[in-house]
Amino acid sequence: MVDDERSIRLLCRVNLVASGIEVLEASDGREGLELARRERPDLVLLDVMMPELDGWTVARELASDEETRDIPIVFLTARADPADRRLGEQLGGVGYVVKPFDPVAIGSFVEGVLVRIERGEREQLRRGISSGPER
Amino acid sequence: MTATESPEAADRARRLQRVAELLAVAVTPQEVLDAILTEGVRAAEARAGAIGVLGEDGETVELLAQRGYDQSVMVGWSTFPLDAEVPMSEVIRTGEPLFLTSSRELGERYPALAGQSRDSHALVVVPLAVEGRVFGAMSLSFDRDIEFEPERREMKLTLARQAAQALARSRLYATEQLLRERMTFLAEASELVASSLDYNHTLRQVAQLSVPGLADWCAIDMVGPDGEIERLAVAHQDPEKVRWAYELQDRYPPDPDAPTGVPHVLRTGEPEFYPVIPEELLDEAIGDDRELRQIIDELGIKSSICVPLTARGRTLGAVTLIAAETHPPYTQADFEQAVELARRAAIAVDNARLFRESERGANAARALAYVADGVALLDTEGRVRHWNPAAASITGVAEDDALGCPVAEVVPAWDALTSHVPLVPPGSAARPVTVPIVLGGRERWVSVSGVDFGDGTVYALQDVTEEHALEKTRSDFVATASHELRTPLAAVYGAVRTLRRTDVELSDDDRTAFLEMIESEATRLATIVDQILLAGQLDADAVDLELTECDPQRVAAGVIESAELHLPKSISLDLAVDGAQPIRCDENKLRQVLVNLVDNAVKYSPEGGRVELRVRSANGSCLIEVADEGLGIPVDEHERIFEKFYRLDPQQTQGVGGSGLGLYICRELVERMEGNLSVESELGKGSRFTVELPLQR
Repeated sequence: MVDDERSIRLLCRVNLVASGIEVLEASDGREGLELARRERPDLVLLDVMMPELDGWTVARELASDEETRDIPIVFLTARADPADRRLGEQLGGVGYVVKPFDPVAIGSFVEGVLVRIERGEREQLRRGISSGPER
Repeated sequence: MTATESPEAADRARRLQRVAELLAVAVTPQEVLDAILTEGVRAAEARAGAIGVLGEDGETVELLAQRGYDQSVMVGWSTFPLDAEVPMSEVIRTGEPLFLTSSRELGERYPALAGQSRDSHALVVVPLAVEGRVFGAMSLSFDRDIEFEPERREMKLTLARQAAQALARSRLYATEQLLRERMTFLAEASELVASSLDYNHTLRQVAQLSVPGLADWCAIDMVGPDGEIERLAVAHQDPEKVRWAYELQDRYPPDPDAPTGVPHVLRTGEPEFYPVIPEELLDEAIGDDRELRQIIDELGIKSSICVPLTARGRTLGAVTLIAAETHPPYTQADFEQAVELARRAAIAVDNARLFRESERGANAARALAYVADGVALLDTEGRVRHWNPAAASITGVAEDDALGCPVAEVVPAWDALTSHVPLVPPGSAARPVTVPIVLGGRERWVSVSGVDFGDGTVYALQDVTEEHALEKTRSDFVATASHELRTPLAAVYGAVRTLRRTDVELSDDDRTAFLEMIESEATRLATIVDQILLAGQLDADAVDLELTECDPQRVAAGVIESAELHLPKSISLDLAVDGAQPIRCDENKLRQVLVNLVDNAVKYSPEGGRVELRVRSANGSCLIEVADEGLGIPVDEHERIFEKFYRLDPQQTQGVGGSGLGLYICRELVERMEGNLSVESELGKGSRFTVELPLQR
């Protein structure tokens, strides 16, 4: 979970843990990139507007590295513009959640994404980049 | 004359003298004729006399006047052929005088006249000649048979010489008089047509001037803009008849294809002259219309002239002169005068039109020179025909470089600029399209519209770069504001959703954290909304300030105190005061400004560091500085950061949030408190904002 907003991290952590998901947190892009490289999580929930490195850059960096390119990315952002959504798709995102979102459902959304990736539907997910549990 | 002459001879001489005296004072041809036919006839001891002259055509003899003949005898003799076998024709032909002793001799010599003048006896016909040129003849009839002895013959010849000279002189005088009148008329008319640029009005005056001297009727028709015939003026002495003529025109509008008359003259540019209007012509024009026939008959049209108003090869109109009830039929001289009049009038009309056109053109050019929109006129081949200064300024291509050249060559971006512009026909609403193009190395946003008028296209160009930038700033602001609102909203909404979960047992710490989150994020939302509102109020100048005495040190200390409540651990916040004096300001607004500046200092110091608030007095002012050691601001952004909606990082990808209104609001507020807000900063080394406010006096 990479977000510079403490309150958003707290929301996600509490609700994801409630769904039985282990959560690692980073409060800016650089920290998030380092954490992902080190820990190889099953999925990254990635904010876009952050200090140091923004979410787009983090996604590019992860995709450019063979070691991390398979880590699925779900963007979690205040940027609701269709152009931003397209950029998220181009950068390989498998989900795009616009704030404000429903944190209660975030756990099952992440699980659903992981199940479909398991089934080999990653590319379909990417192309029809799925919206998360928005408000 | 000698004393030995007979009393008869002396008497003849006296009578001749008397005639000579009368002729000497006779001026007009009529006066001369009167003198000859009264005193001259009497002097010659004749019963009757007549004077005939050679007609203008050189083939007829025109009887000018007679006296003493029976009217019935003269019927049919007002004009007669020069080659007729009659005494007067013969004398004019030969120039030789004719002395016939008796009516018998007349009958023998001119069988056609035999027995015609029973009461006549001797007849004398003498030529009227000047400088050897015979121009007429005078006949004298006597009531007895006379053998004309040489003295008597000589007396008649002398009388004829006197008469000829007087008549020639008077005719010359009359011609000259006529010419002078004509010249005067022409001069007046020329002066009139040249005097005013309102040629319509002038031409009406010319028409008015033409009646009744030049015509009974005068009409002026002009060729309208679409080639239609427009009657400009009708003149007649009687205004009632003028009204009637206009009615007639309405009822019988001219057929533009008519083979004669005004339409024909306008079509061909050739004048028409009918010394006598042929009946067939009238019949053809009238057709079977009985009413029209009656009208034409009442008019009594005798003779007409229709001359074109032609200038530079174009027929602008036509002047029609009609001789009807009073004016004698037109002569060649009249026709020539009409042509001359039309020529002068046409030049004046043309001049006036040219002047008006050039003036209109000059006005249009003036308007185009100063209008802020670029105007480009292209011909059908895409060559530049007009290029106003604004077009030059927008495209960066000077008028001299553009004129006459294919536009795509001089402005490479032209196609990009205009390819999406819908061309509308004249009169339709233009449909401007705003296009971004690079012109002269600068990116410009240009609003372009185009009108296709057949012979080319006119484009209007408007540089909307600034408007576009402002519009972009506005839409950026909306996006920014929406981003800014989304995160606190997400926190508030998410916290509530989480707190309401019944399937999960939250720890006390988490529960407290969520409640605090709701409180702080709601406050953040309120602040952003307040700023948007305040900026709107500042724009509308609807912010009331309460300027009172206040202590800057106390205000600064309060700001520090509240900032410390949520200060990141990496930041140290200090207050330094150096002799603060009371100032005059709105305390709440000053606090608002300082809170914003301190917030910024903290926000733009992501690596932490020291933030210092310094208060001091200098040169009658109080200076309050907020200094940090954070990111700093590039020099070229120092002023722009105070612009509304301007953000150092508009995409906010660096995560430093804000509405883009904080510094704008700060500067506006400080300036309304008669102070000013400035910045010093170096990229990577931090910033120092200085609020300067007047001291309380």
